[in-house]
Amino acid sequence: MTAAARIVMNEIKGYHNFIKLMMVLVGIGALASLVRFIFGLGVTTNLNDTYPWGLWISFDVVTAVPLAAGAFTIGIVAHVFHIRKLEPLVRPAIVTGFLGYSLVCVGLLLDLGQPQRGINVLRYWNLHSPMFEVSMCVMAYTTVLTLEFLHPVAERFGWHLPLRLLRTLELPFAILAAMISTLHQSTLGTFFLIAVDKLHSLWYNPLLPLQFWLSAIFTGLSIVIFEASLVHKYMGQPDESELLATLTKIIPWIMGVYLCIKLYALAFLTHGPLFDRPVLLALFLAEIGAGVILPMGMFFTRKIKTDKKMQLRAASLVIFGLVLNRFNVSMFGMEQPGQLIYAPSIIESLVTIGIIAAHVLFFVLIAKYFPIFEHHPEATDYTIPDHFHRIEGHESKAGHELRAEG
Amino acid sequence: MSTTSIDFNKTRTFLIDTTKCTGCRGCQVACKQWNQLKAENTHFFSGEGYQNPPAMSEYTFTRIKFKDYQKNGQNEFAFYKEMCMHCNDPACASVCPVGAFRKTAEGPVIYDDKRCIGCRFCMMACPFGVPKYEWSKAFPLVKKCTGCYSRVKNGKEPACATACPTAISYGPRAEMVKEAEKRLKAKPERYFPAIYGKEEAGGTSVLYLTHQPLDELGFKPITKRPLPSYTWQALRFVPGIFLGVGGTLSLVSWFQHRKDRIRKEEEERAAAKADSTKGVNE
Ligand code: SF4
Ligand code: SF4
Ligand code: SF4
Repeated sequence: MTAAARIVMNEIKGYHNFIKLMMVLVGIGALASLVRFIFGLGVTTNLNDTYPWGLWISFDVVTAVPLAAGAFTIGIVAHVFHIRKLEPLVRPAIVTGFLGYSLVCVGLLLDLGQPQRGINVLRYWNLHSPMFEVSMCVMAYTTVLTLEFLHPVAERFGWHLPLRLLRTLELPFAILAAMISTLHQSTLGTFFLIAVDKLHSLWYNPLLPLQFWLSAIFTGLSIVIFEASLVHKYMGQPDESELLATLTKIIPWIMGVYLCIKLYALAFLTHGPLFDRPVLLALFLAEIGAGVILPMGMFFTRKIKTDKKMQLRAASLVIFGLVLNRFNVSMFGMEQPGQLIYAPSIIESLVTIGIIAAHVLFFVLIAKYFPIFEHHPEATDYTIPDHFHRIEGHESKAGHELRAEG
Repeated sequence: MSTTSIDFNKTRTFLIDTTKCTGCRGCQVACKQWNQLKAENTHFFSGEGYQNPPAMSEYTFTRIKFKDYQKNGQNEFAFYKEMCMHCNDPACASVCPVGAFRKTAEGPVIYDDKRCIGCRFCMMACPFGVPKYEWSKAFPLVKKCTGCYSRVKNGKEPACATACPTAISYGPRAEMVKEAEKRLKAKPERYFPAIYGKEEAGGTSVLYLTHQPLDELGFKPITKRPLPSYTWQALRFVPGIFLGVGGTLSLVSWFQHRKDRIRKEEEERAAAKADSTKGVNE
């Protein structure tokens, strides 16, 4: 026992200071959530009857879910559209998705008043509730992602049978992931359709779910770019900018559709004044200008195919735009004139910082110990040692027969 | 929703005539007593005006709001009893993931605290800001006016309606609407020409008559459509979209993989051909 502990300690000592910092932040976050359970939501957060939802819903759920959309979008592109060369991007995205969704579950449980009853969602179905729908999807999708994540794990430990099974399920899983994701990414938008006279008209319109879905798709792909660039820069992983160039061709078109729908909804589907609140207008313009139009323009240029820095910059802007959009919808746009303004408490902030740090930390650790980036199918030997069909010469015989017939 | 089978002409409804309210706050006290709610520490002007407590809360299900205004150079008060509106098609019930809220056939919208997981979506959704949270607890639940369901079920009137000496009538919704319309017609100079709650949020089981314009008294202008219909217009597509996305992507992947397979087979055949012609030549 002590020997094992010593090995672990030594291993940790060898880590980069950045990882150590992340560990400390995760620890602080865990402590802060403990405080929340001991003293209750009222004392530890700045939530109240006017602001029943705060940072934890706005960031840990409403924003974190689309930020974890990379897994399903790249799954569609690589597996469904069968662009095999993008395969190396799939695994990192799945790890991010897996971590993202697991942490969404953590965030949700922290925010619930009665987390021990979370299972009630499975016992009492309310098909009219967007929250029911999202919780079901998040549970289902976390399971799918866990299974997908088992892939590198099985590879690492050489479990051949599960590996074989998982490999056949790759495509069905990619499709299932897309189905589930479409539902809950859009339904997160449906959440706010109930806020008829609360959410400001700059964001409230019946097409909100569609916008949430589209923005999740292009942000998911941008996250893949963002991550691959950072990992190349700081973790010495192979340069994927050529593969990323394929993504930069897809992203701006989806952004274009998104922008058109948004403008259409703004022009024809809103009720109520649009320009009555200068602060909200500024937030809206920042979101659209810096978060959508600018990066879309960058993605449309020819230069971005080869310019790594520009790829990273454009992807970061998209992410900025998405985060701002989700906060605008779930927090800023909901504030009524003359209301006290909500700002998260220290505990709330520490927990959210801890969750972000946990994401980064686990990602780095998983990448360190599991074959995440080494997965270049064109370079890997795909044949698995197969205990069930290990008849000598069977393969080659079949091959001969085929050839003889031809 | 299950509410479709409810006859909204019969659901018990409050008719609150604010022009007859004297601001005695008997209802406020009766509510506290009947529901055994804790008293709150209050100060004057901790809220908007003279009213106390400053807002509805986990301890206060109903509250008389005071509104001072000027009439013929005199200072006057108007009062307005704040409580759950017991909507016909309640937003709180539609958004709750575990269906903890339910509109009863008798009228009150009731809450099952055994089901609630504490997500606070009901608080977000209610257009009138009614559900309140037990912020003081580590594992909080939601609190709101029960419509005195246990009394109503047994043929009694709600505690607040019983206590009120002047302003609250209680009875089947159709009758209350008729009564309100009668009063509006009989004394048009006394009333602002509207029945708040008749159509608000698709109709509610609490109706108000006022003297002042509604917005001056602090009534929120609210959509006439039942709120659940706003989310349902998106949610109803869910099964279709789920299957649609699945079907489309399956087709696409089948097509793409087929393209790939055909390409491979062609290559193989070409290779085989090259092989066999080589054999013949030899
Ligand atoms: S007023 Fe609010 S809490 Fe009361 S029934 Fe209507 S939606 Fe529900
Ligand atoms: S807080 Fe409770 S009652 Fe309200 S929506 Fe959530 S689960 Fe339902
Ligand atoms: S109906 Fe009952 S719970 Fe509701 S305000 Fe009146 S006394 Fe209170």
